[in-house]
Amino acid sequence: MSFETIIELEELARYYEMGGVTIKALDGVTIQIRRSEYVSIVGPSGSGKTTLFNMIGGLDRPTRGRVYIDGVDVSRLDAYELAWLRCRKIGYIFQTFNLIQVLTAIENVALPTVFAGVPRDEGLERAEKLLSSVGLSERLHHRPTELSAGQQQRVAIARAMANDPAIILADEPTGNLDLNTGMEIIDLLHGLNKTRGMTLIAATHDLKMIKASDRIVWMRDGKIEKIERG
Amino acid sequence: MSERDSVSRVQFKLDDALRLGYDYIKRRLDRATINIASIALGISFLSTLMLTDAFYRAYALAGGGRLSVETYQYWLMFVALVVSVVGVTNAMLIAVYERYREIGTMKCLGAMDSHILLLFLVESSIQGTIGGVLGFILGIIGALLSTGFTTGFDIILKVPLAEILLLFVGSTVLSIILSIVATMYPAFRAAKLNPVEALSYEL
Ligand SMILES: Nc1ncnc2c1ncn2[C@@H]1O[C@H](COP(=O)(O)OP(=O)(O)OP(=O)(O)O)[C@@H](O)[C@H]1O
Ligand SMILES: [Mg+2]
Repeated sequence: MSFETIIELEELARYYEMGGVTIKALDGVTIQIRRSEYVSIVGPSGSGKTTLFNMIGGLDRPTRGRVYIDGVDVSRLDAYELAWLRCRKIGYIFQTFNLIQVLTAIENVALPTVFAGVPRDEGLERAEKLLSSVGLSERLHHRPTELSAGQQQRVAIARAMANDPAIILADEPTGNLDLNTGMEIIDLLHGLNKTRGMTLIAATHDLKMIKASDRIVWMRDGKIEKIERG
Repeated sequence: MSERDSVSRVQFKLDDALRLGYDYIKRRLDRATINIASIALGISFLSTLMLTDAFYRAYALAGGGRLSVETYQYWLMFVALVVSVVGVTNAMLIAVYERYREIGTMKCLGAMDSHILLLFLVESSIQGTIGGVLGFILGIIGALLSTGFTTGFDIILKVPLAEILLLFVGSTVLSIILSIVATMYPAFRAAKLNPVEALSYEL
């Protein structure tokens, strides 16, 4: 395992102006995350976890500070390069799964490969393998409404891995799942982190998820409160 | 992103857009049906008048009396087309709202603005094609019903086939163009959506 830095945040801040009031969603966050590391982000509602993910994923621009991914300053990327980053470098997992309702499981998983310009057959083949690896080989042609919550999140995880990203950003991946299903998802994500060496960053309230991680970042009011070893 | 130059492909081909557009139409058939019906009605009005005119000319040529389409009927046709365009714009705007989250998700997965734009335009082109064909069929029926009792229903056989084909192609192309025009604004809004806002949008 290498110990090079994959993500570096430098005095990162994001302010919102709301009717004359400044909301400091992020207020000077500095941290380095190593390749293949598993980091849990913990903090009360409104502490800035989602905002932090939006910054790392290049979905939103910081008010101040820098985000470096593999040494590249994300704020310097143009629209095309940002799309490339989201497509190839980062896999997103959401609390609400966010599957495309009109598409089947295998089509959902293949969608990022479509945006990456992978030939259709190859994309579908890849999607099938990924769905098998998350235990859904029997559910390839089911639509999201025909799947349980846990199964939907598995599809979402397979989709996040479609272009073999270096980083997985998971924003409360077990937030909408019951205890046991949540456990399974955590094991799955943890396994991917260990076997494929994907850098995993997960916002969570889930103690079991926190325990499995290499580092725990505690956030409060847009700042890092403390960092613990897992 | 050192490998950016070697594998810098963020692509989305027309057949991918077609497939996705088709999936959206198939799975959200109610909205698509409204759009198709709206376009088909406008186009059926247009092709009724065009065909009626063609029938009258064929009738005159065959020695029948001189008949013609009234100017006010063309005005009605124009109004019908405008109404159908506005109807499609409205329905597509609602479709964009319904898909806020999905659009945000697609952008997270690497879709560019142009991909989202293409997706909506392709979807409306498919609807425009179906609406155009249906509209023309309705137009033939309409024209026959409005002329047949004076000219005889076999009048359609006296119009050169090439002329009917030309009208068919013309009205279908116009139908597609009108669908695309009607979807420009909604599609542009969808493409320009900020992914963070789109993802946090609650229906
Ligand atoms: N678009 C916005 N406009 C104004 N304020 C915002 C916006 N987005 C987030 N905020 C504010 O920024 C702060 C951080 O929000 P964020 O969503 O990052 O918190 P969070 O830690 O993810 O919370 P939760 O655990 O509830 O998901 C909150 O006070 C929130 O109200
Ligand atoms: Mg959040």
